[in-house]
Amino acid sequence: MSEIREQQRLTKDERDRRVLELCEQVSEIERRLIPTGLHVFGRAADAGERADLLRMVASFDRPETGARALPQLIEEGLNVNASAPSHDGARLSEKSLQAREQVEATTREAIRRFLAGGSEAACAWLETTARVPVAESRRVFSLLEKIEEQLRDNRELDAFARALRGEYIEPGPGADIVQNPSILPTGRNTHAVNPYGVPSDLAFARAERLVKLLLERHRTEHGRYPSAMALVLWGLDNIKTQGEGVAQALWLLGVRPLRDGMNRVTDVEAIPLELLGRPRIDVVMTVSGIFRDLFGATMGLLDRAVQCVAALDEPPESNYVRRNIRARMEAEACPFAEAALRVFSNAAGNYGTNVNFMVMDSQWEADDTLADLFVTRKCFAYGRDSEGRALEGREARAALNGALARVEATYQNIDSFEIGITDVDHYFEYLGGVSKAVEKQTDSRPAIYLSDALSRDAKVRSVEETIRLETRTKTLNPKWYEGMLKHGFRGVAEIESHVANTFGWSATADAVDDWVYTEVAETFVLDEQMLERLRELNPHSARSLVARLLEAEGRGFWQAEADMIERLRDIFTGLEDRIEGVA
Amino acid sequence: MKASLKITALYVGSSLLAPLKQAERDIERTYAAGLRIAAYNFGAPLDEAQWREIERELGESQVVFVIHVTDGENAGRLIPLLEKYRASHRAVIVINCMPELMRLTRMGRLQFGRDTAAAAQGTVEGGREAEDESEGGAGEGMARRLAGRVGAWMGEQARARRRGRKKKKKSSHTQYLRYIERLPALLRVVPNAGRLRDAKNYLSIFCYFLQPTPANIRAMLLVALKHYAADRRFERIELPPPESMPAVAVYHPDAPALFESFESYRSWYERRAGKTGKMRLDSEKTVGLLLMRPQIVSGAHAHYDALIRAVEAEGLATVPAISTFMDNREACEMFFVEKTQATGRKGKGRARLKRTESGTVEQTDDSQAGRRSRVSQIVSLTGFSFVGGPAMNDSEAAVEFLRELNVPFRSAVSLDVQTIEAWRDSWTGLNPVQAGMQIAIPEIDGATEPFVYGGMSQASASPLPLEERCRRIARRLAKWNRLQTAPRAELKLALVAFCFPPNKGNVGTAADLDVFPSLWEMLVRLRSEGYHVEVPSGADELRERLLGGNADSFGATTNIAHRMTVEEYRRLCPFAPEIEAEWGTAPGAINSFGGTLLIQGLQLGNVFVGVQPTFGYEGDPMKMLMARSGAPHHGFAAFYAFIEKVFRADSVVHVGTHGALEFMPGKQVGLSESCWPDRLVGELPNLYIYSVNNPSEGSIARRRSYAELISYLTPPVEDAGVYRELAALKELLLAYRQTTDEREREQLFQTIDEHAASLHLVAGGG
Repeated sequence: MSEIREQQRLTKDERDRRVLELCEQVSEIERRLIPTGLHVFGRAADAGERADLLRMVASFDRPETGARALPQLIEEGLNVNASAPSHDGARLSEKSLQAREQVEATTREAIRRFLAGGSEAACAWLETTARVPVAESRRVFSLLEKIEEQLRDNRELDAFARALRGEYIEPGPGADIVQNPSILPTGRNTHAVNPYGVPSDLAFARAERLVKLLLERHRTEHGRYPSAMALVLWGLDNIKTQGEGVAQALWLLGVRPLRDGMNRVTDVEAIPLELLGRPRIDVVMTVSGIFRDLFGATMGLLDRAVQCVAALDEPPESNYVRRNIRARMEAEACPFAEAALRVFSNAAGNYGTNVNFMVMDSQWEADDTLADLFVTRKCFAYGRDSEGRALEGREARAALNGALARVEATYQNIDSFEIGITDVDHYFEYLGGVSKAVEKQTDSRPAIYLSDALSRDAKVRSVEETIRLETRTKTLNPKWYEGMLKHGFRGVAEIESHVANTFGWSATADAVDDWVYTEVAETFVLDEQMLERLRELNPHSARSLVARLLEAEGRGFWQAEADMIERLRDIFTGLEDRIEGVA
Repeated sequence: MKASLKITALYVGSSLLAPLKQAERDIERTYAAGLRIAAYNFGAPLDEAQWREIERELGESQVVFVIHVTDGENAGRLIPLLEKYRASHRAVIVINCMPELMRLTRMGRLQFGRDTAAAAQGTVEGGREAEDESEGGAGEGMARRLAGRVGAWMGEQARARRRGRKKKKKSSHTQYLRYIERLPALLRVVPNAGRLRDAKNYLSIFCYFLQPTPANIRAMLLVALKHYAADRRFERIELPPPESMPAVAVYHPDAPALFESFESYRSWYERRAGKTGKMRLDSEKTVGLLLMRPQIVSGAHAHYDALIRAVEAEGLATVPAISTFMDNREACEMFFVEKTQATGRKGKGRARLKRTESGTVEQTDDSQAGRRSRVSQIVSLTGFSFVGGPAMNDSEAAVEFLRELNVPFRSAVSLDVQTIEAWRDSWTGLNPVQAGMQIAIPEIDGATEPFVYGGMSQASASPLPLEERCRRIARRLAKWNRLQTAPRAELKLALVAFCFPPNKGNVGTAADLDVFPSLWEMLVRLRSEGYHVEVPSGADELRERLLGGNADSFGATTNIAHRMTVEEYRRLCPFAPEIEAEWGTAPGAINSFGGTLLIQGLQLGNVFVGVQPTFGYEGDPMKMLMARSGAPHHGFAAFYAFIEKVFRADSVVHVGTHGALEFMPGKQVGLSESCWPDRLVGELPNLYIYSVNNPSEGSIARRRSYAELISYLTPPVEDAGVYRELAALKELLLAYRQTTDEREREQLFQTIDEHAASLHLVAGGG
């Protein structure tokens, strides 16, 4: 590879920088939380498995309990600066890396001491080692104590029995433990949020930073701000974060939410351009049917935001919304009302893009089919018409296509480590689907971004980076797949499902490197011992996995060595025979 | 014909329109003043055509009433219109609205915007001062301040909520009840003339409004006409004192009057039972209902009556209590809780009333000894949060109360800010205002069974019942009651797992859940609870039996528990013709064999473990390409028909996140009898074992398939760590950093670079 040879001539400084950058990359993989198995209803997890989770819980401020982030407390106590580097790595230095390692090692050790000897021991140790005031650390550990206790005592089966007896089942919030420890205890009736409270002040504040990162990244890589972005909005993250995804859309447009006398978010106002410091980005929102149902009022708010920005008398170079609407009205003699539609979802009463069904069932031939399918399912406009009547999902295919034709980047907010883009088929059907639809309209694939607010410092990643990270931390990671295989039959299905969802990203966004498929094949299929295990535990899913690899090659998503494919074919035939009872 | 006198009334809800219309007729009959009352429901955002009409009416009105308007957008549109027509309005009377609107009250010399700014912004201390004065008699300015307090009531709640204040010195609902009970007496000491005249008029109107009987609403309008219409016909009229009805009471459509105590209700109810052979108030078989007071007082209760009768028709008794609006704990405490002599020692921890196997209710903790529920289910028909009313919700307090009482809480919705016709025609179902306020918020209190049971209609000035929905709710309550009371050994349960994409390897699809061991744990638990279930030796045996059995003989994914003939299917599934329009003649190609429909699953005693069919798009790209889906396939419908009507389950339990039932076509929320999830789940109580990290799709299941979720924990998580070559790279990087020798570093870098390349770790990210 020429790239490597070139690097041999790196100067000392360049070498050092590259090493630091690799340290970052390795540590990002190493420190990412992954599930190491599946839950069994009613069973408590082993205590040994909790240290990393608790450390992650302790890594965030908890305003509701007054507990501050433990790494932050340690950083202050040690008087070091351990903040993570920005995306371009400009701030990488050996010193900051060491500081971060020190803070992390101290945090880890504190948690270990907490688990072994309790709060007081951990607090005392932190005070002597890192000068963390006991009053501060005690708050952190009392939260962890409570979580520990709740995790030890699983009451799900009790709740099941009580519900069947017709007793009251308490409501509870829904999220992961790191995001919101008050999801414990489980065994409760999970609820959503009041749509009129969205976005919360906190969500709006956090979204500002994320949008800045997003736009800066795009500008660094493409030399300018995107004229328009397509956002995927889901209920999932917006419930858990009180509307960060919604707030991101508002920030891109450059508006802020307004609360009425009843403290409900019912309107928006434009943020002046001087304050915004950048143009207003045009935003096409493709919204899940679930978001549409759960956030009916918010659908109206988003439409109002677009209408508000479209009505501002601002120069085209500062207001892309207005510019794009004008351009479309002129080019296609299209009325304002249609050119300004930006909030799209399924037809009322319907859900999903079906792109996942089509991909999983291998039912498409041309790329256009998936693009068209996405538009067919998602071209129903929401908001209000010029007479103030609710559109309630008016079919507007041309409007969606017209809006997508100016999109240069697509984006979705991810808030939780628990549901990653290869864990479920819904990410590729939505974000992949809309990217494919943009590609059809513009003849070029848009930049595809995902946020990652999992660590203390939110990040923006490209879809390719995200897939690499998920592949390395989960699919190819023995810690992950051995954890799954402990669950036998279901574990094999989980591995197969990750490969299928990865394949979905090839189908919709051409976002999967060859090595991903090659290593999947080597790890699960070409390793005879592993293949035999999968075959024993769940031959049906083993067969599906091999079939999916062959399909990836067949569709040109994977440039594989011919003899590797040959071997996969033989193995596939063998699996078929075994299932059919021939062998 | 243009009216010579016009009042515009902008209101919210379903209780005021009928009395306003009746008052218009009555006043016209008596005074022949050419009075017209233009009334508009301001509960949801209005469209431009409606605004044009309202503007015309406002332009022609002498008096404007604005009542209960809390919608920011409508208020934002209304305020400039009130400014615009300021000169032609002789009085603008704003009651219980958001502060921005309250400030526009203008009656003679009373102007809230000027007079009560201090009161409206006042602290709790300031408010107390006003009240202390009012208790002491007619102090200087008391009436004006009182009017300010009354006016600021709604705004205060909102502010309290915004500040996140949990403990208020005086709860708003107590204040509300105080107004109802004491305001008329207070008013008698306020002089009729002089500077206080207008404040007194406002308070009189408020008194009438608090008891919105038809006579009081008429009087309320007459106060305004007498003092502000400048019409001689009204100047000398005498107004009756407000009719009074109790603030808290039990209502029953068959009873001659309200009952102010549970004992008086009980004696009436049981007397009636004796005569008619109807049921008695046996707590095990009694449903407590919470009704809105204004609807009862104003006579707008046909929808309540229908629901009460439907519940009683199912053999359940009812206690329909008038909701104490801002805080339902009070009504519940008065009418749904029996206090007996405390007997036990003080324990700690929270008490929970436990249902024993025989069905009686027992205390599990004696700290609360002496409290016993008189009802076995609570159904709120208020459409508001249990504690906090329309402006806020204190779900912590609600949950604490309901947990202690341990009675399931349901919340059904009346179409108050949209019409039955609009709901019926719309695929959205409940509009965003109702879905937000009356579904999302009660859910946070743990409310289940989010049904629409009635509402406003173009055909009527007061709410009408949806008889079919009332029957559906009633029958579901009866099914729940059977779960509460029947001997467990008789109860039948269907546990439903999923399989997507449909092949044997995927049976037990669920996010983060190992389904077979979970099912097995559940079966073991059911057996110990006394249900009749045959438990396999372990999760593996359960899986082998479900995947094996007779599956191969039908080319099926799993064992087939039942083969449903087309004749049986048509008989059990009345919607078959609709399905045939989309999927062709039954049985169709999916889940069928030899002309019969195959029900995937396994019967284990009284427990059926089934596998839900999928949407059925596999191998059918044309189906996937449709923008709108029409109906589930025959196999899907047959599966649920089997569970409810062949197996005769008493409850269905869906296991794992998530299936297809709740995503079947139909309204978004507030389903009708033609929505598929409603048809499929039928009358079965639906429990759903659901991942705690998916509140969004879980909420769809709650709303569209009436599921009560039982959340499950997500799996243990750990750091991903490093492995194989990645681990080696990590070591090399460390070595590089720790070495000072440049030559060694250069060599190490070579190796590092090779490792990084073979790991595909490219420069610049990812």
